Amino acid sequence: MKKGYVQVTDSYERILHWMLAISCLLLCVTGLGMMFQTFNFIGYLFGGLKNLKLVHNFTGLVFAASLVLVIRMWWKEAGVFVFPEDLDWIKVAGGYLWHVDKVPETGKYNPGQKLFFLTVVAAGIMMIVTGLIMWFPGVFPVELVRWMYPLHALGFVAIFAFFFIHLYLGTIGNPGTVQAMITGWMDKAVVKKQHPGWLREMEHEGKLIVWGEEKKDDAHGHHA
Amino acid sequence: MNKQPELVKLIDTTLCTACRGCQVACKQWNELPGLKTKQMGTYQNPPDLQWNTWTLIRFQEYEDKDGNFQWIFRKDGCMHCTDAACVKVCPSGALYYTPMKTVGIHRDKCIGCKECVAACPFHIPKHDAKTDKVYKCDLCYSRIKESHAPACVKSCPTGALTIGDKDTMIKKAYARVKELGGDANVYGDKFVNGTHVIYVLQFKPEVYDELPVNPTVPASVTLWKDLLKPLSLLGAGGVIGGAFFHYMIHGPKVPDEQNGGQDSVNTEGGK
Repeated sequence: MKKGYVQVTDSYERILHWMLAISCLLLCVTGLGMMFQTFNFIGYLFGGLKNLKLVHNFTGLVFAASLVLVIRMWWKEAGVFVFPEDLDWIKVAGGYLWHVDKVPETGKYNPGQKLFFLTVVAAGIMMIVTGLIMWFPGVFPVELVRWMYPLHALGFVAIFAFFFIHLYLGTIGNPGTVQAMITGWMDKAVVKKQHPGWLREMEHEGKLIVWGEEKKDDAHGHHA
Repeated sequence: MNKQPELVKLIDTTLCTACRGCQVACKQWNELPGLKTKQMGTYQNPPDLQWNTWTLIRFQEYEDKDGNFQWIFRKDGCMHCTDAACVKVCPSGALYYTPMKTVGIHRDKCIGCKECVAACPFHIPKHDAKTDKVYKCDLCYSRIKESHAPACVKSCPTGALTIGDKDTMIKKAYARVKELGGDANVYGDKFVNGTHVIYVLQFKPEVYDELPVNPTVPASVTLWKDLLKPLSLLGAGGVIGGAFFHYMIHGPKVPDEQNGGQDSVNTEGGK
């Protein structure tokens, strides 16, 4: 860390993010091993496809628990669109696709991030519900169980595609932002570009934690 | 192996006397245990196909329009579809097409996911919780690959069960239907691209218990396997390609000018 860095996430946020992310990725990888016979070899990493299935099912429980906590943590900041600001941002695609002189200001999360969050929430809940029914199909009518598989696949289509968007925009697409989920500290210049509304709000309320300065009472506590 | 003929087992329900020799022979050859069953007020036993019961004579009490009573006996079991939904959904390759075009099962590959249980239009595969594997008739693969008749066919005393190459058996079925007349019909050659077990039925299919009139690979299976499955890779591949072009053409999002950011840090830092 260095001078000029500001704290944008606390440890609770980062730990939950990675619990959700790692369980989600493990579910994608193990799921692919069962979805495509071409990828059956992934089963060898887990000592066979049967173990792969078990790892998938129990990782689903970790994912479910993480998702509940993540929704509690981020719903206010990332689950609700604020109009008209967010609509203005969407109209210019956040300046990501063509040149925009002045990108409308956003809060801690921009509408693109909100859309990603809501997709993970909606698709995640669908994956948990359909997955549980697929895990215990015997107690449900077969006509219902049958439709769980395409719904589970649909959720995967959405999550898998969105994952790569998230990966790109969270790393090389927006240099400097990945630190938000690693150390929690970001270059203030990057924050100013990415989340000017949030920065102004934090400064206004005197809550902004700046590197090397006298820390507020609870720098590493959970503020969300 | 590739010289093996495409086999069809013909079940002529009009010749069945419900002796259940086939049920016993099936258990014997496949070394399936007998388990306690429930008395359901019928001779049908067990009440349904089970992991340890791959074929079952269904007993049905039938009364025609004039009030004449008649037993209907139907030997239920795997139909060995040409387009088998179970093979299509099986994630591990446990369910497969044999050279005789029947549907075999590699039990060691089965992971107990039960996807075939939900997919089968005939409700045939049964899951055993103890071994966490799925069981169903494999048309005695161990016998037919050596050109022996399946155990059920071998045991049948009335000629209700016969097996042979596909064309011969279908011809035989239609000849029998012609002989029977009335509502008699051939069941199995017209859907899922033809099954490898076909019935000669005395009555229209809708008369029979647990017999689907127009069985198909469920739409959910087609949507899942033919559309969403490839779409998952295409979608992700499209995004990766899109990100590449975005980075090359539009470029990453960087702070406006470094000094602007730094300045604000310095001026507001001491607040």
